[in-house]
Amino acid sequence: MTALAQFRRDTDYTETKISLVAPFVDERLRVKTMNVTVENLVKAFGLVPALHGVSLEIASGELIALVGPSGSGKTTLLRLIAGLDFPNSGRVLFGNDDASAKSVQDRNVGFVFQNYALFRHMSVFENIAFGLRVRDSGRRPSEAAIAERVMTLLELVQLNGLEKRFPGQLSGGQRQRVAFARALAIEPGVLLLDEPFGALDAKVRKELRRWLREIHDRTGHTTVFVTHDQEEALELADRVVVMSQGRIEQVGTADDIFDNPATPFVFDFIGDSSALPVVIDKGSVSLDDRILSIDANGHADGPATLFFRPNHVHLAGQESGAIVGTVRGSRRRGDIRRLELEVGLARRLCEIDLPADAEVPKTGRIAVKPAKWRLFPRTA
Amino acid sequence: MSDPALAAPRTWRSPTAEIRPVRALLIGIAAVFIGVFLVFPLVAVFIEALRNGVGAYFGALGDADTQHAIWLTLMVAAIAVPANLVFGIAAAWAISKYEFRGKAFLITLIDLPFSVSPVIAGLIYVIMFGSHGYFGPWLNDHNIQIIFAVPGIVLATIFVTFPFVARELIPLMDEQGTQEEEAAISLGASGWQTFRRVTLPNVKWALMYGVLLCNARAMGEFGAVAVVSGHIRGLTNTMPLHIEILYNDYQWVAAFTVASLLALLALVTLVVKSALEWRFGHELTGGPR
Repeated sequence: MTALAQFRRDTDYTETKISLVAPFVDERLRVKTMNVTVENLVKAFGLVPALHGVSLEIASGELIALVGPSGSGKTTLLRLIAGLDFPNSGRVLFGNDDASAKSVQDRNVGFVFQNYALFRHMSVFENIAFGLRVRDSGRRPSEAAIAERVMTLLELVQLNGLEKRFPGQLSGGQRQRVAFARALAIEPGVLLLDEPFGALDAKVRKELRRWLREIHDRTGHTTVFVTHDQEEALELADRVVVMSQGRIEQVGTADDIFDNPATPFVFDFIGDSSALPVVIDKGSVSLDDRILSIDANGHADGPATLFFRPNHVHLAGQESGAIVGTVRGSRRRGDIRRLELEVGLARRLCEIDLPADAEVPKTGRIAVKPAKWRLFPRTA
Repeated sequence: MSDPALAAPRTWRSPTAEIRPVRALLIGIAAVFIGVFLVFPLVAVFIEALRNGVGAYFGALGDADTQHAIWLTLMVAAIAVPANLVFGIAAAWAISKYEFRGKAFLITLIDLPFSVSPVIAGLIYVIMFGSHGYFGPWLNDHNIQIIFAVPGIVLATIFVTFPFVARELIPLMDEQGTQEEEAAISLGASGWQTFRRVTLPNVKWALMYGVLLCNARAMGEFGAVAVVSGHIRGLTNTMPLHIEILYNDYQWVAAFTVASLLALLALVTLVVKSALEWRFGHELTGGPR
């Protein structure tokens, strides 16, 4: 038998099923957590700016998500908190201690890397035990204590029985959980996760998401995770930090972020939305000189962008003040039909959701009115 | 048997395969080439060495000058290989784990010994340390002899075998990246612990591979060593130099006897190298994490 065939035979890639148990606080794993304060962090890589003065308060025991498109600085912020990179200016405080001057080793953070970064030549057991074994002799637990802790953690991440496996013999989801257990082994004050589910397929992701929430509730770690998946961020986190181009756009709960987007970027990035260029003049909002039946809500006169969500739109009759457009595309999505509407002289495309049985006239011209909307001033 | 996939016509040839006669011709040419240029000369070495029987073979090995040449070769390798081991790890570590100015230039420099003729490598040390060289008078005053002595041979050997370990490690360590090291330090490991427990185990087979090739070259080096050694029998002759002297003295059996030892070293190196590649191939080039 060739070495490769032997390797394949020894390797079982089937995912162990993750069972979800009712959350309870596990005293063996409970740690003293701390709040984290980020003050005015500025970071540039060479001449390329990555963060422009970011400040953030993270409460003790909170589960917080950093979400944003790639290049928004979310991973940079996470690495600065961990001490894997150092800021050009600004501070990171753990509790009331200034951690800025501390090395990674002394910050006592649990960091889970995007590609897990498991030690490939060590068994699962040794991977998890690593952080305990490298302590200096005064603080190093006994061999028996190490074994007990590793087994407790294996139980927590539901990988009991796999402690002798090597990383190469595990599925993606299993590796992810080993990386998680390894980070928890050192009893970190803060847990930092970089795209924890980024490399997994959709089904495993969903399962691990609920599992992470449950672990968080059981261990109570202050946890910060980075994701580009807004659904993941909104579903999992207590609070979401939306970032763009090295700045924080908004910090809030899922409700805040979704219902009250602070900036055009947040409205655009979170959830589906359509944007139309409008002009506000003496309290009335007009699109291509047609006055819309939309309240300017005290916005100043001048060019503005009208944002609304596809599902906040209903068909309008013949009354004036509606948004009129030509249907360019139509897709069935569950109970609704999503139409692509070409609107105005600029032929801007909007997405709107209508009931699946709504009738669209043969001409393809329809009029709609948004029930909820937001206006943001537009700098031309 | 009704599965259409199984009933596919068998005469189909893979798009990248050649027709049978072309294949036979290509394989034939390769086989003849290897036979004439590699296998036959190798066999000839052993035939010539054993021409006068096993007794003469071991008799030639018992000669004092021959034994000294073997001893000197082993000693030079024992100094040059560890030196390049340390250098190779340090260079590969610096190049693959850090970003700095002049990195590309350093990589080119490491390759230099591969592109420089070994004779030149020997000559530069003569120019530096020879009695008429830059440091010659100063070395003379302090009674230090480098050229035509063992230190010169060691220096020339280190120069020639410089790239082997580093060359083997750089691509692998580059591929492995720094994430495991970052993971280790985030778990509280010191720099040395990270190196010893994470970096080194990850490259150990590539390291052995590099050491093996380095050793083979260190023991077999002729050109550079010939320039700096001075060919003093029983003092500064390594095995390759000794073979040449014996050959020029018409001592065919003795020459081929020593040559057979080097050939044997080559064969052992080849076997161990193949075994490493077969067993740890995926770890030599970076495997799953």
